[in-house]
Amino acid sequence: MPTTLDVEPDLGFKREILGLGAQDLTACYQCGTCSTVCPIATTENPFPRKEMVWVQWGLRDLALSNSSIWLCHQCGACTTYCPRSAKPADVMAALRDFSITHYAFPRFMGRALNEPKFLPLLFLIPAVIFTFIIGWLGHLSALPDGEIVYSKFMPIVYIEVVFIGALSLSIIAAAVGGVRYWRAMNSDANDSGRRRLPLIPTLLTILKHRKFKECASEPATARETHKEHLYKSHLLVFYGFLGLVVTTTAVGIGIYAFGYLTPWPFWHPIKILGNVSGIAVIVAVAVLSYRRIIDKEKAGKSTYSDWLFLHVLLWTTVTGFTTEYLRLADIRELAYPSYFIHLILIFVLLVYFPYSKLAHLVYRTVAMVHNARSSPGAEAVPRMLS
Amino acid sequence: MNKNIGVYVCSGCGIGECMDAEQLVALGSDEGGAAVVRTSPAFCLEDVQLIRDDLDSGAVDSAVVAACSHRVNADVFSFGTAFVERVNIREQVAWSHPPNDPETQEIANDYLRMGIVRAQKAVAPTPYTEAHERTVLVVGGGSAGLAAARDAARAGYDVVLVEKGASLGGYAASLYRQFPKRPPYRALAPIDVAGSIEQLQSLPNVRTLLEAEVVETSGQPGRFTVTVRRDGADELITAGAIVMATGWIPADADTFDAYGRGRYANVVSSMELEAMAARGSIVRPSNGSPVARAAVVVCDGKGDDRHRPYGGNVSSLVALKQALYIREQYPDSIVYVLYGDMQTPGPYEYFYKRVQEDEGILFSRGDIRSVTENGDHDVVLEVESTVVGGPVRLSLDLLVLSEDMVPATADAASGALSLSYLQGKELPTTKFGFADSHFICFPYETRRTGIYSAGSVRQSMDLAASAQDGSAAALKAIQCIEQASAGAAVHPRVGDLSFPDVFLQKCTSCGRCMQECPFGALETGEKGRPVLDSNRCRRCGICMGACPVQVISFADYSVDMLAGMIKAVEMPEDDEDRPRILVLACENDAYPALDMAGIGRLQYAQSARVIPVRCLGSVNSILIADAVSRGFDAVMLMGCKAGEDYQCHYIRGSELLETRMQNVKETLDRLALESERVTVAEVAISESDKIPAMIDDVVQTVKEIGLNPMKGF
Repeated sequence: MPTTLDVEPDLGFKREILGLGAQDLTACYQCGTCSTVCPIATTENPFPRKEMVWVQWGLRDLALSNSSIWLCHQCGACTTYCPRSAKPADVMAALRDFSITHYAFPRFMGRALNEPKFLPLLFLIPAVIFTFIIGWLGHLSALPDGEIVYSKFMPIVYIEVVFIGALSLSIIAAAVGGVRYWRAMNSDANDSGRRRLPLIPTLLTILKHRKFKECASEPATARETHKEHLYKSHLLVFYGFLGLVVTTTAVGIGIYAFGYLTPWPFWHPIKILGNVSGIAVIVAVAVLSYRRIIDKEKAGKSTYSDWLFLHVLLWTTVTGFTTEYLRLADIRELAYPSYFIHLILIFVLLVYFPYSKLAHLVYRTVAMVHNARSSPGAEAVPRMLS
Repeated sequence: MNKNIGVYVCSGCGIGECMDAEQLVALGSDEGGAAVVRTSPAFCLEDVQLIRDDLDSGAVDSAVVAACSHRVNADVFSFGTAFVERVNIREQVAWSHPPNDPETQEIANDYLRMGIVRAQKAVAPTPYTEAHERTVLVVGGGSAGLAAARDAARAGYDVVLVEKGASLGGYAASLYRQFPKRPPYRALAPIDVAGSIEQLQSLPNVRTLLEAEVVETSGQPGRFTVTVRRDGADELITAGAIVMATGWIPADADTFDAYGRGRYANVVSSMELEAMAARGSIVRPSNGSPVARAAVVVCDGKGDDRHRPYGGNVSSLVALKQALYIREQYPDSIVYVLYGDMQTPGPYEYFYKRVQEDEGILFSRGDIRSVTENGDHDVVLEVESTVVGGPVRLSLDLLVLSEDMVPATADAASGALSLSYLQGKELPTTKFGFADSHFICFPYETRRTGIYSAGSVRQSMDLAASAQDGSAAALKAIQCIEQASAGAAVHPRVGDLSFPDVFLQKCTSCGRCMQECPFGALETGEKGRPVLDSNRCRRCGICMGACPVQVISFADYSVDMLAGMIKAVEMPEDDEDRPRILVLACENDAYPALDMAGIGRLQYAQSARVIPVRCLGSVNSILIADAVSRGFDAVMLMGCKAGEDYQCHYIRGSELLETRMQNVKETLDRLALESERVTVAEVAISESDKIPAMIDDVVQTVKEIGLNPMKGF
């Protein structure tokens, strides 16, 4: 017999979720069609209907402390099939947005990434830092002479100090958020907490994009959902991003371990990896943005934080390329400013990750690990309907 | 009596290409002894004048038109009082059997023989025209009754409105708001009871009797005599038809006790909440303090053992409406709406959506596990099977239980008409206790002709629907008055002037006709013999089917006539390839379905010979015995569905046939014949596609058991 829940609705929470692009939630009459077409729903876990009801009833703690919202990979079948057009996929996206803000440490940062009024501040912080460094080095009045070498403009060590320092703080903040979420999930589950964390299987699942693949192969019947392109697009952006991270890391190792100073030649394998990865990211972001614009119904509502993230990712990569090619074209008046902007964008993209859409790195992984641990074999989720 | 019969063989619509009209002509004049025989490529066009001329000149007194089904062109082949027999050689011969085939020709020949027999034996009926009262009596002054009285009066009929209470308006007078009445169906609408009453009172031909009760109703359509008691004095009112709009009564208290009503101060019924809302003071009854948490429960008993047959869709709408009342008075409150099924028919779906948009109204399906009370008189509600994901406990200031709408007829003391009919004082009801005769096709028709039910006594419904219902029932009442004064049936044989005639000298006073008539048309007369109240009769012929000594007949429909038609079929002797199957098809659904099979050009066995009957209940079992002794290899009784969900247009016809089949089986046993030779087939009007297989099955049975050994005797 499950324990009886004493209901205490929090209408403020309901209002906030409705405000995050989920206003159609009110139309939900709880039929459960969403759960019968959802690839991750089970008989015991009628996702996303139960989450829909929890939001309708303002049951904040229940809504924020379960793993399902992050196990969902946004295929959008629920929205496609909803007979009342309540758009469950939008509600789930809103819940994820809200979760990121809710678990954010410090809390203010969660708001900063979700409210447009803070946008200037987000860019101002890195701009001030880097302007200060350039001013300190005297490049504000005159750009470095001779061949364009960016380390002349902004020595590597300054960059390392800024990014390693800021990212360390970000990682701590992300860890705090992740732990808060983990604890919340444990609070309502009678969990022994002794079992080992299935990190490796989860990591493999992520690397193989198995969940996306399951969503994509799920024949929900005749209607076309948003899921068809997601597996490929996310795979592309994921490995593109990973490629850029590897490139940056490799360059760092090259400089410090081997004194192999930048710029590296165009044909160098690491350079090629960087360029290819950059193109992959741009292509993927273009596809994802195009889908959000064209497939409005199926893709679900695009919120401020969705677009902020896509833009930052796109322009970070684009400025990476302009920086590279302006150097090759030897146009110093544009090359150095481009590099400057590129650095600001990288800062916004990476340092704020625990609060932006990129926070799904943390929360989705935590949810997947939690789910894999509490229900072994959860990689193969039993189907509610076949 | 030997009549001058005219036979008219049409060859249009493919008939001529299918069969030899000359054979029919010869049959008509020689074997049939017709005075006149004519052919035409299309009798329904200008040649119809030929028939009219023959009738006018007196050369012919009855016309046998061998052409299309009687279900079409009825207006074309209608010639005043002259008897016209339609022989269906189009739908059921030319369109459903292979052309130019001797067996097909034989069907047409048999049908013409039958038609001539019927025309010989039938007499044009003389109607009963003794009942001319034109007053409409409306019982019940609620939403439906007011509308019925108003519309009947506006149509020019005198109306007497009898209301039990001290004022008109019914429940509407005690409700705060009603459901949205027009697009976009979002806002609750005010109720203008005073306006409706005023409107009614401005009509000069309406007489309203308040605090009045019907204590006896006797008579028949066109001449009901109703005793109305007021202030201890009885008044006799004569009325042509009656609209019964006695409404609903709240469910008995027992069913509510399980939810804590009566035990806990803060548990109220929906009617009590209406009263609070109307006063503008929805509060905790225990201490008069404001309401912050409330639940409105649609007590439909789904999922628990408290079955609620009357928790219909109105309760769902009431719950939605009352949730809004509470939210309107307390904008910070939370109202739970708990239900088994949320039923919001038609445009009320928009209203449902509107209520869902209110952030403080929380919905879930659920079963009430328990209702208790804590020390502060908070109602503690435990609900299981919710969609929240497990049992929930709600602590409430107020629990509202939706009232069940039990039809007033369920309580003998409330709103009965006290009929002085042999079959009882009560109005017969459907299985759920509603005073209605048929659940789909004929709203307002009760099983007492001339008495029309309207509003929630007929089916649980809201105010707007009740008003519409009242208007519609008033139209039925008017139709009934007009038809009754002409001696014509109202329904479903609209305009039929015939009625059953009992040959009393031979009556054995067994009383079966009086008991079996679904409409209570026969009362007990002298020596226990039946007396007919003609206008109560719907002309189904169930009495004719029931009579063990076959003394009941209609001018144009009788056992003798049907027996003659059966006998008219030419019976081939011992030819395995030419069995003969008699199909007695109910004219309401089965016969139209057979016609539609023909229209769809579905082909079926040529051995079938179809005779339309008014109802399977009118088939006297002696006819089946006749058919098998005549040599028919099988008899199919094709009619409507019997039982609880009957589709019989006379309610009990199919059911009665089933009981009579027992006698038929005994007869067959006595003749040493297989009982499989007589079968009953249920056909809905939409099932014409099943007809070929049904008939083929019977043909197959005959093949298996062999031809009727009685053939040729």
